[in-house]
Amino acid sequence: MAGRTIVVTSGKGGVGKTTTVANLGTALAKKGYSVVMIDADIGLRNLDVVMGLENRIVYNLVDIVEGKCRTEQAMIRDRKLKTLHIIPAAQTREKDAVKPEQMKALCGELAQEHDFVLIDCPAGIERGFKNAVAGAQQALVVTTPEVSAIRDADRVIGLLEANLLKDIHLIINRLNVKMVKKGDMMSTADIVSLLSVPLIGVVPESEEVVVSTNRGVPLVHERGSRAGAAFQKIAARLNGENVPFDDDQDGGFLSRVKRIFGG
Amino acid sequence: MLGRMRDTLPFVIKADREGFLLIVNGEIPLPDLLEALRTKLEESKAFFQNSRMILDLRRRTFDPDEIHAVRALLEQAAGVELAEVRLGSSNGAFFRWAGAVLGVKVSLEGERERAAAAPQEPPPGAEPPLVVRQTCRSGTRIESPAELVILGDVNPGAEIIAAGDIVVFGTLRGVAHAGAEGDRSAKIWALHIEPQQLRIADVVALPPRGRKPKPKRYEVAEVKGDLIQVVSY
Repeated sequence: MAGRTIVVTSGKGGVGKTTTVANLGTALAKKGYSVVMIDADIGLRNLDVVMGLENRIVYNLVDIVEGKCRTEQAMIRDRKLKTLHIIPAAQTREKDAVKPEQMKALCGELAQEHDFVLIDCPAGIERGFKNAVAGAQQALVVTTPEVSAIRDADRVIGLLEANLLKDIHLIINRLNVKMVKKGDMMSTADIVSLLSVPLIGVVPESEEVVVSTNRGVPLVHERGSRAGAAFQKIAARLNGENVPFDDDQDGGFLSRVKRIFGG
Repeated sequence: MLGRMRDTLPFVIKADREGFLLIVNGEIPLPDLLEALRTKLEESKAFFQNSRMILDLRRRTFDPDEIHAVRALLEQAAGVELAEVRLGSSNGAFFRWAGAVLGVKVSLEGERERAAAAPQEPPPGAEPPLVVRQTCRSGTRIESPAELVILGDVNPGAEIIAAGDIVVFGTLRGVAHAGAEGDRSAKIWALHIEPQQLRIADVVALPPRGRKPKPKRYEVAEVKGDLIQVVSY
């Protein structure tokens, strides 16, 4: 069994990579898949906090590549889901403590035993980015509907393509449908046309995200959360399920498509 | 800027159907030529390895010693075979040399007539246009010593620079600089021009604020007076 390794990246910081990894990982594990999430942001680890597993860390990613522990020893199991694990980043080390080849070997090893390996990429396009991308077969680029985030996403997509990572999908995070309708925010269609990468999902802006991050419980566990539902849909699409794009939530993207086809 | 870079090399190497074409420019002293050529060959040794090279001396008077020296250098530095020597129409030196070797006057029948009837060749050193078959994303910088054709979009944060015209078969949203060596008659063509900045030769233009309507077919930017104007078609 060989699983898929997927890197979640963005270029710009603070657009929701870690939230995306935590929610997609949780949603996939809820479907019964075996999932490992790797926090590749060495020196600025976050994923463990978002997952509420901060106090269980003994070993980390750098310990694995330096041979100080076995891979399984650094894998922390989720509090709720038995098939969900995270490998935390080292907080007290630098990004160059890991080499791209080591990351590649680790991802290959994990993919042998798990269905999905999700890599939480650090912001920026330097060493940390190269490490995170090295072992991935597939990339999810997260952007918010802001010009600066889109610019960085564009750059990152160019770098991914140059790294021969061609399976790239786009997630638009924190879309505010009201603002798009008023013309104060770039619409989904504008962003997709500029970045020319297939869209895999749109997550609406929501205060719930802040609450869930602070509580350490991913949103996909909450019933009735729209952002959580959006992440569940993305997870389903990642899994190859055909989930239609919901008009209202996706900021009028589909209504435009419908208009084009006269529907 | 591009021009100066090109002028520092006393020769141009172009790919030809039969191999590489080595065009020697002007009257540079032989040792300088050989040294520059050796550097170039050693830089790109793997690229030239075991290829065939045609020595084009049409911009330079014929000199047998030079040919011997270049041939030896090609062979020794990168295993390149000298396949052919092309001389200019003013090849009197060749006939004098051949005459000296043979001890007889050597001349060529009908040389003048053929030279007059020969079609005008493009000036040596004229580069072919550069064609880029993908979208230029943020952070990309593309320079062309001639015309530049982009088959895709140019996104914000990308820079494209050409000594001649620029043609974008897509939307131009980044920075474009046509006529970068000072040619004010260069133009920028695109399906849609919505740039961060346009430059033609030494003229710089910022687009007006706010969105403008999309053109029906295409747009062209050119210098009119001292300003860059974009006209939609």
